[in-house]
Amino acid sequence: MTYPSKSRQVRIEFVALLAACALFLSTVEYLIPKPVPFMRIGLANLPLIIGLGLLKEKEYMLLALLKVLGQGLVTGTIFSYIVLFSIAGTIASTTLMYIVYRFFNRWVSLIGVSIAGAMASNIAQLLLSRYLLFGAAARLIAPPFLVVGLISSILLGIFAQQFVQKSQWYNSLQEGPL
Amino acid sequence: MKRIRLGDIIIFLLSLVIIVASLGSYGSLSGKPEVRVQAEGREWIYDLSVDTIASFQGPVGATSIEIQDGKVHVLDSDCRNKVCIAAGWISASGQWIICLPNNVFIRIEGTTQPKPGGVDDISF
Amino acid sequence: MKVANIRLVMGLVALPAILLQKSFIGIIIQATYVILLATSHGRRFKIIPNLILLFSVSSAHLLQPHGLHLFSIGRFPITAGALTLGAHKACTLIALLYLSHYMVTARPQFPGKLGKLISMQFYYFERITTTWQTITPKRPVIKAIDQVLLNVSGSSLESPPHPSKQAAREDHLVKDLISNGVHLVILWGLFLLGSLAILPVI
Repeated sequence: MTYPSKSRQVRIEFVALLAACALFLSTVEYLIPKPVPFMRIGLANLPLIIGLGLLKEKEYMLLALLKVLGQGLVTGTIFSYIVLFSIAGTIASTTLMYIVYRFFNRWVSLIGVSIAGAMASNIAQLLLSRYLLFGAAARLIAPPFLVVGLISSILLGIFAQQFVQKSQWYNSLQEGPL
Repeated sequence: MKRIRLGDIIIFLLSLVIIVASLGSYGSLSGKPEVRVQAEGREWIYDLSVDTIASFQGPVGATSIEIQDGKVHVLDSDCRNKVCIAAGWISASGQWIICLPNNVFIRIEGTTQPKPGGVDDISF
Repeated sequence: MKVANIRLVMGLVALPAILLQKSFIGIIIQATYVILLATSHGRRFKIIPNLILLFSVSSAHLLQPHGLHLFSIGRFPITAGALTLGAHKACTLIALLYLSHYMVTARPQFPGKLGKLISMQFYYFERITTTWQTITPKRPVIKAIDQVLLNVSGSSLESPPHPSKQAAREDHLVKDLISNGVHLVILWGLFLLGSLAILPVI
């Protein structure tokens, strides 16, 4: 696939490919047994982080949308409360990550971007859980939830950074900055 | 680690600050003011900060209370003298209202701001 | 209307009946009904995660005492009202969950460009999954990922990425319309019973 070709069709297919990666990773994460159901690793965010260097703004938003829809369909949660959390978290994190990447690229590596995205997503979800699920007691799960998010996002960020540097696939597609 | 940049450190520290701030939520669990009502040989508990209306049965009929804006009072009662209703609103820890004929006892517990000028404001 | 879309629409229409249910017994019946619906169409009901959900949401609500004081753990009061409220919310969530499981059982086709995109996404998803399973050296990870990605994206040039559509089973259409109509009547009926306080709230 010759990516630098501006053919719209090819670029759209590429978004679908990244979205499929997100789907794959979220299924993998879904299958990992977790002691507490609310502690998430956020594997599905990897394509969202890596895609920052490859996609234009509108394409990136499309990717986020496809990620949420795909995840919702596969886990069957698409018409329940839970997808609201996915939507809120994804909107918050992709917006912040995009801004950080776009304007602060020189000072921030993908690690920082990943952390920012995770914090934004977790805070958005905590706020949502306070009003929809738990009530005022939601504040109690905030600290461990945020700490797990911080640690996992750092690890994810490190992996993303490594991937972007070492992957042949990625580097053959590099088109320059957004 | 390869190429950690300044921005990463800043974002990381900001995140730590947010986490530490969220730890503050652990303080406010104990001692929240609650309204405890004893009637029918059992006890009911309500959060003083949540507006509610509740009703209890007794020997002479029903007595109902209303919690509103962090205060509680007897809304209505089937007793003859209605002294409990006349007692008005209470909002501080330790204050109580009682409907003697109907055997309903209402009391505020937990930590609240202490009110100046006495604990009971039941008037006869 | 295809079978898949009927279920989709039915679920959407049933949504308020579950969300606005006032009665605790009502939501339990609704949830049970929906769970049976989903499991009879192939979805699995895993008891443990749902129990964990029920437990955690209920206990979170215990922190705001309400209603009859049943007993205390040390100084911590367990109140019936708070338990019911929490359990009610958890049941609502579970009902919604299995309702949406049911809604997607027949693989609804989303209309328009977005629908095509999603189909493309799922197409690539299956290609990624199968390719990942067949490549042998899975370490180093990045090289393995590269292999999968190059493989998957390379092949897209030749074949137009449109998955073969399942043949619409038109013959079951009427039966499905009727059964979904029945589901709607039952769920909304339960809602009405709950609203009219015929079913107890607590």
